[in-house]
Amino acid sequence: MPMPETIETISTLTNEGQYVQAFRMIGEAAAPDMDFLQSMQLSNALESLPLEALSLKPIRIAITGTSTLDQFSALLRFRLVLAGFMPEIHLAGFNTMGQSLLDPESELHAFRPDVIWIFTTYRDFMPLAGSQGDVDASAHVDEAIAPFESYWEAIRRNSSAFIIQNNCDVPADRVLGNFECNARWTRNGRYREINRELPKRMGQGGTVFDFDAMASMFGKNAWIDERYWHHSKHAFSLDAASMVAHAGARLLAGLKGQSRKCLVLDLDHTLWGGVIGDDGLEGIKLGAGAEGEAFVAFQEYVLRLKRRGVVLAVCSKNEEANARLPFEKHPDMRIRLDDIAVFMANWDNKADNIRTIADTLNLGLDSFVFIDDNPAERMLVRELLPMVEVPEIPPDPALYVRTLDRLGLFETVAFSDVDAQRGEMYKHNAQRSTLKKKFSDISDFLKDLDMVSAIGDFEDFHVPRISQLINRSNQFHLTTTRYSESEIRSLREDENRICRHFNLQDRFGDNGLICVLVLEDTGEALEIDTWAMSCRVLSRGMEHFVFNHVLELARKRGRQKIVGIYKPTPKNTIVAGLYEKLGFGKESEDRAMTRWVLETGSAPELPHYIKTKQQTTG
Amino acid sequence: MSTDILSKAQAIMADILRCPPGDLQPETSAADIEAWDSLTNINIIVSLEKAFDIKFALGEIQELANVGDMVRLIGEKSS
Repeated sequence: MPMPETIETISTLTNEGQYVQAFRMIGEAAAPDMDFLQSMQLSNALESLPLEALSLKPIRIAITGTSTLDQFSALLRFRLVLAGFMPEIHLAGFNTMGQSLLDPESELHAFRPDVIWIFTTYRDFMPLAGSQGDVDASAHVDEAIAPFESYWEAIRRNSSAFIIQNNCDVPADRVLGNFECNARWTRNGRYREINRELPKRMGQGGTVFDFDAMASMFGKNAWIDERYWHHSKHAFSLDAASMVAHAGARLLAGLKGQSRKCLVLDLDHTLWGGVIGDDGLEGIKLGAGAEGEAFVAFQEYVLRLKRRGVVLAVCSKNEEANARLPFEKHPDMRIRLDDIAVFMANWDNKADNIRTIADTLNLGLDSFVFIDDNPAERMLVRELLPMVEVPEIPPDPALYVRTLDRLGLFETVAFSDVDAQRGEMYKHNAQRSTLKKKFSDISDFLKDLDMVSAIGDFEDFHVPRISQLINRSNQFHLTTTRYSESEIRSLREDENRICRHFNLQDRFGDNGLICVLVLEDTGEALEIDTWAMSCRVLSRGMEHFVFNHVLELARKRGRQKIVGIYKPTPKNTIVAGLYEKLGFGKESEDRAMTRWVLETGSAPELPHYIKTKQQTTG
Repeated sequence: MSTDILSKAQAIMADILRCPPGDLQPETSAADIEAWDSLTNINIIVSLEKAFDIKFALGEIQELANVGDMVRLIGEKSS
C-alpha cells in the first residue's frame, strides 16, 4: 500500500479508537530503510496514538554529540516505540559532549539515563592525518581514543548507564586514491585502526555502535550531504537517519533482553523452491541453477544464525515424511534435521503449531520469528499470534537473506559460549519433551532415556557446584543444611562422614551434577544429614537410585539402620513423604523435625532405569 | 510564479508545519509561522528537493527567506 493510503488508514483507525491495530499497521509499514519524509509521516501518525494504552517498557536515553541530532532523536523515539519501549530521550545541547559527560552535575547526569549514546562521527577522532611511519600511527590512535576513555570513565564514576559509542564513519574521500588502503598511516588507515581499537578498549557496560557499517549500508556517496553539514551541521543524510535509528533501537532491544530467540521456518518455497509433496526430491529447486543457489544461500544464513544461538524450528503444511525427505536425502540441503529443535509438519493451522512449538521449547511467543513465503499464512499468524514477529518476505528468494538480516531481530551486546550452545540446549529440552508425549507408559519413556549416573565424592573440582546445590536448593532438600565451601571440604576429611555427589546423563545430553548426599556414620546407623537434589531431574528414578546406593553403603559397613531426617520448611513440602515412600517408618516427630528409620536387614532395593558409572568406591 | 509549483510546495510545507496551506503565501516567512524554525526549515528543504527532483546549492539554501523565494528557485531549476 502506498504511503498516503497507509497514513489515511492509520488515521481512520486512530480516530475510531483502534489503537492496537493502528500501532501494528505503523509497525508493518515501517521498513528499516525508509527515507526521511516517509519516516516523519509515520512518526507523526504514531505520536497521535495514546502511547500509554500500548503497554510499553520505559527506557531513558541520553544522546550527546557534535552535530545536529534533533531529527535523528525524533526518529530514534519512533523506532524505540515500535520496538516496544516508552522512551524518554535527553538530547544534550549542541556540541556539549565534554561538559555533559565529565561534569557530574550536568543535565545529562541529572537526567539519570539508562543508556548514554556518545554520538560521534569521524570528525571527532582526530584533526588531520599524521606523517608516514606505522609507529607514528599507533600513537595517533591512542591519542584519538584517549578523550573517549576519560568520558567512559566519568560515566562509570557517575552512573550505571550503559554506554553506546559510535565508531568512525570512515570518509569516502581518498587523498591518496587507492593507496589510502595500502598503509596504516594514511588518514583512512588511521580511522580504520581506531575502529579496530575501540571495541578492545570499551570493556564491560558498553558497546561500540558500528556507525561505519551504517554509512556503508546506506552508501557513502549519499551518506554525507556537504551542504547540510556546512549549513546546519547535519553529519549524515536525513534519509539515513531512519535506518540508523532502527539499528539503534534494535540494539537497545537486544540490550534489554528483547531480542528474538527462535526462528520458525516454513519449508516449500522458503528453504527450497517448489513443493516437495508435488515436485519430489528431483523437482525442488535447491543447489543447481540460479534459484537453487539462492535457497542454498538462505539456508546457509539460517545455519549461521543457529550457530550463534538462535533456535530453529520447522512449521510446514506437508506430510511429515515428505517434509523430512530433503533433509534426509537431498545432497544440497545445508540445514539438517539435527539442526532443528522442533519439527512440525502436518495439516493443522500454523498458529496452533507455533503455539505447540513455543510450549515444547518453553519459550514465550514474543521471542519468536516466523518466516513463510505465503502471504496468507503470514497474515493468519499475525492475526492470531500478534506477539510473533512475522516479516514481509519478498517473492524473490535472492532477497531472503538481506530481508531477514536487515531487520536486526537478534541483536546482542555480549556473546559467550553459552549463547552459541543455546540452540543445542533447547533442542535437547525439546527432544526430551517430545519423547515424553510419545510414550503412554512412563516406564518405556524412562527406559528409552538411557540414563547413566556417575557417583563421586566431594572432589575439589566439584566443590563449587556441590556448594551451589546445598546452599541454593530449597525444594528437594530434606534438612536444608547450608555448608560453606571450606565446611564442605572438612566434611570430606571427616572419617565419620560419607560424602557423595551424583550426576545424570541421558540420551539427549548431560544434566550435570544434580544430587548431593552427606551421611553420618554413628556406629549404629547411617544418618542422612544432607540430601539435596535438583528439581530438573525429579521423577526420573534418581530418588530410588540414591536410596539403593545408601542401602549398599550401610550393608557394606554392617550398619543395621538407616536414619532419615526431614526438617520441614515452607519450601520443601515436596519431600515431606519421601522417606515413607522409600519404606522408612516414622520414629519420632515434632514441629522442627521428623526422624524416619529403616532396618537394612531385609529392606528391598527399589526399581529404576539408571545405570551406574562408578568414579569412587567406599 | 507558477501556481502549480506554489500549490505543490504549499501542500508539502503545510504537512511539515502543521498549518493550513492557505497560511503559506509567497510573502510568508519563518517569522510568521510558529513551527517554522531552523529544524523544520531543513525538513522543508529536504522535502522540496525530493518532491521536485532538484538540488539547492549551499549559497541558495542560505538565501531562502520566504515561500516565494523557494517557489521561484524551484521554477528556475525545473525548467
